Amino acid sequence: MRGRIHQLIRSAAAVMLLLLLVGINVQAGGKNFEGRWLLTITIPESPTSNSKRTITVTVEASPRGDSLNGRLTATDDNNRTVSGAWRQVGKQVSITYELPCADDGSTACGSLVMLGKVKGEFVKKGKVIVMWDTQSDTNPALYDTANGSFNGERLP
Amino acid sequence: MKLKWAILFTAFLLAIAAPQAGAQTERTLAGEWIMVSSPINGENFSRLGNSLGFPDRDMVFTQEGGLRNGVVLREDVGANVRPLGSWRVMGNRFSAAFQLWCPVADGACGSVIMRGQFLSDTTVKGTMTVFFDQPDEGRPTGYDTWVFSFRGSRKAEGSN
Repeated sequence: MRGRIHQLIRSAAAVMLLLLLVGINVQAGGKNFEGRWLLTITIPESPTSNSKRTITVTVEASPRGDSLNGRLTATDDNNRTVSGAWRQVGKQVSITYELPCADDGSTACGSLVMLGKVKGEFVKKGKVIVMWDTQSDTNPALYDTANGSFNGERLP
Repeated sequence: MKLKWAILFTAFLLAIAAPQAGAQTERTLAGEWIMVSSPINGENFSRLGNSLGFPDRDMVFTQEGGLRNGVVLREDVGANVRPLGSWRVMGNRFSAAFQLWCPVADGACGSVIMRGQFLSDTTVKGTMTVFFDQPDEGRPTGYDTWVFSFRGSRKAEGSN
């Protein structure tokens, strides 16, 4: 009788342990930025414009492994792919990449720093810093800067 | 008369050949560089007291097709400390964006934008702008911002 009770307790403990492990994995996967994302980024057209432009990019965030930083690629609507990097602490993710510059100079060029929170399959209300290529004597960054926003949706 | 036309034709050929020669010497960051940094106007820290210090940075830039990646080899801090980034070149100027390496979760972290120009194929100079994740409403971006300057030399292949 006692042996049967022990066996039941061991089985229940094993089931609980399994559920915990599965739960932890689901939670970790839900917060991790690694994977494919569709990011919608809204930034000003240029350093001198109040008009906004919206860029849609497909991001492939590589696993970080043991590193604190990961690599990524960002492919825009014009099928231009550039490299970038990301880091994450908890839900907070930071993404940096260089905007692809139009050969004809038709769009202003710059660098993006993006900060957001991964919530399951989404990044909502992300903030963007744009550092344009134009120098500025008055901006503490030494170049013109602007702010924008972004949202993300995890892709299968 | 024939000589005049021959001279004009030769001049035309030289004129259309010149831009191609220029294109062949387009600058690239690809390779390994030592970047030596120094403060601007004696500012060793940001307004909120954040700083990266001024270590020499061993940086490796690669290009595979259109993908341009960068890594900082911070072996002075730890064997596996390798902040990652990406870069682009526009004529004689370049830009690179890197993530900082922040092992302490509650410490200040951030991202770095490098902007520079080529002085030659093997030397560069410019500035680095650090956007710390810490809010600072007194800055245009809303984030604590710090700048410093750098000069870089390309490491000769095979050197340590």
